[in-house]
Amino acid sequence: MTSAPAPLPRVQHVAGRILDAQLHLMDRQVLDHDGVPVTTVDDLEVSGPALDEDIEPGSPAPVLTALLTGSVLGTRIFGGRPPSSRLIRIPWQDVAEVGVVVKLGVKGEPLDASWVERWVRDKIIARIPGGRHDPR
Amino acid sequence: MILGDLLGTPVFDDDGGRLGRVADVRFVLAGTPHQLMAEPRLLGLIVGPHSAASFLGYERNGLTRPHLIARFLQWRHRGSFLVLWEDVALVGARSVRLRPGFTRYSAALENEEKA
Repeated sequence: MTSAPAPLPRVQHVAGRILDAQLHLMDRQVLDHDGVPVTTVDDLEVSGPALDEDIEPGSPAPVLTALLTGSVLGTRIFGGRPPSSRLIRIPWQDVAEVGVVVKLGVKGEPLDASWVERWVRDKIIARIPGGRHDPR
Repeated sequence: MILGDLLGTPVFDDDGGRLGRVADVRFVLAGTPHQLMAEPRLLGLIVGPHSAASFLGYERNGLTRPHLIARFLQWRHRGSFLVLWEDVALVGARSVRLRPGFTRYSAALENEEKA
């Protein structure tokens, strides 16, 4: 029986909260500042680095620029991902809190991420008799 | 760059030895401050030698319950380590290469409770 490997050193304390992409962000629900569900985090966009280019020592670390969402069901099943142009971006500047859900500091209504819901509401639900007002 | 492309990518050391795959990417909220939250800066990559992805993060958060699941997932992700951004030499479409003499750090989430 082999002996247990020596424990690895810990990173020196870094100022700021730690977020692991898959553990804390990916697949989390996104709520707007009124608590209304907007979408889920399907992927993330970072500012770099350029693919297949050597990274110079001392070059600044990339930053997370946007949460990505879109129609990913097909690619989740069959592999790959939609082209970058088909993904909808929610800029990180709009994110207010990361917890069990990701909360935005803005209203979800004008965001591109909720266009399907707006379209269904305006084109389909609104044409059903009684569909233009709250149920009473 | 889209982060999903990086997850699961094989990681190699400077001599071409395979170390594992990118199981997760660690950020720290220490970038440019914005009105709501600071920009997350990439701190490093979590490399898993035995699995392409991490599930539930048992190897990072020290949770021990439910006991059987915790033991199994900690075993499944044994040997995971964190490598800092400063030790990454190249990020390619199909591989990540580390600098010579890179340091393996513990992947544990020690700051989580303090945040």
